[in-house]
Amino acid sequence: MTSFALAWRTARRYRARTLLAITGVAVIGALLFDMLLLSRGLLLSFADLLHSSGFDIRVVSTEGLAARLPISGSVRLAEDIRQLPDVEHVLMIRIEPATVRAAGQSPRGISLIGSSDAEQSWRIVQGSALGSPAAVAEACPVLVTRPLAAAFSLRPGSALSINVRPPGVASALPAVDCRVVGVAEFAFAQIDELTAVTTLEAFQRAMGGGAADADLVLVTSKPGAPPGRAIAAIARLRPDLRVYSNEDVVAQFNRNGFAYFRQISLVLSSLTMVFAFLLVATLLTVSINQRLGEIAALRALGIGRPRIAAMLLWESVLLVGAGGLLALPIGEALALVLDRILRQMPGIPERMHFFVFEPRALAIHLTLLAVTAATAAAYPVWLTARLPIAETLRREVLG
Amino acid sequence: MPLVDARDVSRVFPMPAGPVVALRNVSLAVDAGEYVAITGPSGCGKSTLLHLVGCVDTPSSGSLLFDRRDIARLSEAERGRLRLTRIGFVFQRFFLLPMLSAAENVELPQAEAGASAGERRARTLELLEYVGLADRADHLPSQLSGGEMQRVAVARALANRPALLVADEPTGELDDETGEQVAALFDRVNASGTAVLVVTHNPALAARASRRLAMKSGRLVE
Repeated sequence: MTSFALAWRTARRYRARTLLAITGVAVIGALLFDMLLLSRGLLLSFADLLHSSGFDIRVVSTEGLAARLPISGSVRLAEDIRQLPDVEHVLMIRIEPATVRAAGQSPRGISLIGSSDAEQSWRIVQGSALGSPAAVAEACPVLVTRPLAAAFSLRPGSALSINVRPPGVASALPAVDCRVVGVAEFAFAQIDELTAVTTLEAFQRAMGGGAADADLVLVTSKPGAPPGRAIAAIARLRPDLRVYSNEDVVAQFNRNGFAYFRQISLVLSSLTMVFAFLLVATLLTVSINQRLGEIAALRALGIGRPRIAAMLLWESVLLVGAGGLLALPIGEALALVLDRILRQMPGIPERMHFFVFEPRALAIHLTLLAVTAATAAAYPVWLTARLPIAETLRREVLG
Repeated sequence: MPLVDARDVSRVFPMPAGPVVALRNVSLAVDAGEYVAITGPSGCGKSTLLHLVGCVDTPSSGSLLFDRRDIARLSEAERGRLRLTRIGFVFQRFFLLPMLSAAENVELPQAEAGASAGERRARTLELLEYVGLADRADHLPSQLSGGEMQRVAVARALANRPALLVADEPTGELDDETGEQVAALFDRVNASGTAVLVVTHNPALAARASRRLAMKSGRLVE
């Protein structure tokens, strides 16, 4: 009869206690698992979003990517970058607030994106791309997000008027007549964001016909070429600019926008660990106190401390292990619900997720639960190790 | 040389209200194969003496030798090993593990002593037959009567062929008839060469011993 077999039989014998412990650990473990998914979920999702855009280098004129200013001489810069041996593709972007008007509709504020590449990575869900023959024939072809299409009842072929309003500039730029060529999903667009994208030429016309410098230059390195080489080369071309790899952007995001979630998840993970520890330690201790006579008798019969300690440790491992495994599907289901709720927050890109599974989270979850099982068993083991056999037997008989 | 040789043994329990002397200068020798019964009123120190002889406790003063080994000089692990291999315990409340069958309860001390699975099975069957419960081998303690549980407890105590069987009020929880069955079992155990030391209030059980001792206020008076 091994210690594990004794623990298994004990768990089966005291079914109510076992079910209570497993249920408790499963619920607490689900929360722990969710906190682990949350601790890096947004970061992983953001990194995935960056990588899925196809660009691995970003050039801006300011520190960070949040608030951007136009890059002077961006067209020339883009040309120079294109000539670099490690660069495959270059894209210029300019984003400004604008007002949209459509027949019979009230004007609404939107984000207008000018892009130098008509074939870029917006996913067309209706109509055609900016590079399609129908779009090329238009002076101001635009792709619109689904929320914008819905707000103005737009579909491919609809006409709309766009009036760019650069912030902090007292301007009276003329409205430009545009035509919707397609409805698209934008990787970084928020769920309810009203966004339109057009060609950089059309954007320049909307800006009054002058040169409209890009405020972001996106670069794709050649396959196999480390982005570091292209970054160093671009920095040599324009030392006044900031050049970031995707990893730099993720690191910035981690430092600035993500600390809040990391801290919350750290605190909540620690709390759930403590709850799991308290639950199992309490149940085991109560169980041991109910079985002191049995244990003293076993010791009197010569059953050694190591076997009894191992039995208690196995009991703890069984309770925490079963609860911990059950916690995974519960946690996953809970994560889906919580993710759906959290993604309703304003300012969250549509394709971002708060809870993202990674093997690392599973490994940490299992490790933390193993530690919990061991520490929860420590006190009951200590109790039984120093149990005075004769005194306990006497007390049991008197009791 | 006796199997158990206690000389001037005292046991004092420190208590918040002051030390309690449970045993006062008790001397007792139990020879191999002997059957000794100790009687006396509650609280006179019978169980304390039994616990000392059974090596689950150590004396506060005096010397106690088991198999010529000074119990006070043994480590807890060494005393545990001695109990496992040389002493069998029978308790008033049986203390069978409720999640194990009768056979598994009897196997447990053998497993701890390192017996192989085959040896354990054979010895367990032999012992359950010996106590008349071979047909209840797979029953849980909750499916056995009090007398049956105590017989399983005796089988468990004999599992590793001990030199001494110590029993603390073994009939205390049983009616007269089942108590008589257990007492008869002790006779058989002793007749097969195992020394028996029993602490009891039951005069019928004590009467079966070859030597009867009485205790009063922590002293052996007879």
